[in-house]
Amino acid sequence: MPGVLKTETGKGLALSAPASLYVGLLVAAPLAILVAYSFWTQTYVAIDKTLTWANYIEAATDPLVRHLMLRSILIAGAVTLATVALAYPIAYFIAFRTQKKTLWLLLITIPFWSSYLLRVFSWKLILGFNGVMNSALLTTGAIDEPLTFLLYNEFAVVLTLAHAWAPFAILPIYVSLQKIDRAYLEAATDLGCNRLERFFRVTLPLTVPGIIAASLIIFIPTVGDYVTPSLVGGSQGKMIANLMQVQFGAANNWPLGATLSLVAMASVGAVAIGFVVITTALGRRIR
Amino acid sequence: MSDQNIIEISGVEKRFGTFTAVSDLNLDLKKGEFFSLLGPSGCGKTTALRMIAGFQDNDKGSISIDGQDMADIPANKRPANMVFQSYAIFPHLNVGDNVAFGLRKLGLSKAEIKTRVAEALGMVELGGLETRKADELSGGQRQRVALARALVMRPKVLLLDEPLSALDKNLREAMQLEMRRLQQKLGITFVMVTHDQYEAMTMSDRIGVMFAGKLAQVDRPDVLYARPCNRQVASFIGGMNFLQARMVGDGGGQMDVDVQGFGKLTIGVNPNVEIHDTDLLVGVRPEQLEIGAEKPDGYDGYLQGEVSDVAFYGESVHYHIRAAGLDETLAVAVPNYFHTVDHQRGDTVWLGVQNASVIDLGAREHQ
Ligand SMILES: Nc1ncnc2c1ncn2[C@@H]1O[C@H](COP(=O)(O)OP(=O)(O)OP(=O)(O)O)[C@@H](O)[C@H]1O
Ligand SMILES: [Mg+2]
Repeated sequence: MPGVLKTETGKGLALSAPASLYVGLLVAAPLAILVAYSFWTQTYVAIDKTLTWANYIEAATDPLVRHLMLRSILIAGAVTLATVALAYPIAYFIAFRTQKKTLWLLLITIPFWSSYLLRVFSWKLILGFNGVMNSALLTTGAIDEPLTFLLYNEFAVVLTLAHAWAPFAILPIYVSLQKIDRAYLEAATDLGCNRLERFFRVTLPLTVPGIIAASLIIFIPTVGDYVTPSLVGGSQGKMIANLMQVQFGAANNWPLGATLSLVAMASVGAVAIGFVVITTALGRRIR
Repeated sequence: MSDQNIIEISGVEKRFGTFTAVSDLNLDLKKGEFFSLLGPSGCGKTTALRMIAGFQDNDKGSISIDGQDMADIPANKRPANMVFQSYAIFPHLNVGDNVAFGLRKLGLSKAEIKTRVAEALGMVELGGLETRKADELSGGQRQRVALARALVMRPKVLLLDEPLSALDKNLREAMQLEMRRLQQKLGITFVMVTHDQYEAMTMSDRIGVMFAGKLAQVDRPDVLYARPCNRQVASFIGGMNFLQARMVGDGGGQMDVDVQGFGKLTIGVNPNVEIHDTDLLVGVRPEQLEIGAEKPDGYDGYLQGEVSDVAFYGESVHYHIRAAGLDETLAVAVPNYFHTVDHQRGDTVWLGVQNASVIDLGAREHQ
């Protein structure tokens, strides 16, 4: 085919080839392998490659899977809610109330200058039985014996992740706030709104895209997080990824692990789509 | 206060740091008038308008609307509404909801809101466009929505910050007429900021001309054109030839002056001028000079010169005349009656002027 690179289609294909190859190798291929594994089964010595729904049936019927899946989604939801709720005022402050925007944005990224593991361990030190929090409360006499509900539970997981994710929520919300033409705010005031009404009727609906972006960025990876729950979650705070890790590791049941991954992906996808649809619809209802 | 006045501004000053954006602003606006604030970029027009709207506090002086002092009344409680330069149409709402935005606070029934929105949209000729999205509107339509959204509130005063500057020339001229018609129909006081002299003149009952934060003159458009108070105002509104003159005698509202190039003339004393002196500045509008190859009959002053430039404008032809004893060329505008350009560069021509065309601009030292 002489001159194929001269046609528009040819050029397009040629230009997108490296990206397609990259995506193909790094995303599509592993996913295909994962799907294949999920239909196989693990015998004691080898993988049985006859196709079967067995793993899916096990995932659907095992109460542990259901319990962990639900808990993962709830914890991720709580993390998302907490992070976005805390990030919004910070983003608002940077966008509207300070001249030193760059400085503040820089300060917000400072936690990233240290490793995530280090930050999780810091929370362990803060929340632990002999940790900073308990020591402080004990010395001030606020409590008589160390609090035990601080660490190794869902609360610790939510707190640690909300702290870790903060910049990921602040930045998209900040961008959407920053984009708002100040004339819209003045127009709302001019038409009789006080500050609060103006926030709910103009600022908030205009930042819905930022809120959605922030929520997805946080929610999706959080459902699959396993480092945080295993370090600060205790048995109460275990999540679905911990179970997957067991299947791929100690239990050596890759097919079931693959099935769990796919089920988790599908659940996250469904929840995320539902969230986007509902939030967008809610945003539209504000008039 | 007089009950003829809807807005009374006295001694208002606004500073940004050490920079004074508006100083000693005194202005009374009458009920139902179309008032324009005209001035070059950065002279403080928007700042003045925003102080009336309540978006900016004044450092000195007082502003009252309809007899009520606005000092402690926030922007959202003032009986004035604004049309923003960028229109500020809420992008998350459709046209109907944009117009209904302010109404939703008034505790009206749904049906009532609907009627008033439809009525307002009808007024700006956008009837039936309620469900159109904000980003599907043309520039002219956005301008109309902004107008409807403010008018639907039935304000006592409508404030407009360069409402037409984003539109192309034809649309702008059509909207000028339409807004004027609407204003007269509704009888609401319009306060418009503009830097376009023609816009100000065609639309307004009165114009306030501002320079560097100060109001130089407030008058009807025709008075502003005929009796500008100084050189600055004279050159900002319309074209003007400036000439030096000496007062040789005065009395009875008239004065005899010796005008550079034209000689002895008798002109009216301009009541808007603050300071007179024997050394005067006078002005003549380009269209009020007569030009001819022969000396024209029946004029009070004459001058002979040479055409240095010809500019064809379509509806008129502008000649620039250089004459002995004048520092600058004189502009002469001749209506294009017969599709002819009568004089060419280098031609020797006569100019004639009537006494009544010469405008007294006051002492030369105080320009
Ligand atoms: N918030 C502000 N802070 C500091 N200076 C300001 C502020 N707003 C306006 N100014 C200054 O005040 C002066 C008047 O501004 P203003 O916006 O009133 O001008 P304008 O007459 O509306 O001009 P334009 O025709 O360009 O809109 C300008 O020199 C401007 O730089
Ligand atoms: Mg302005």
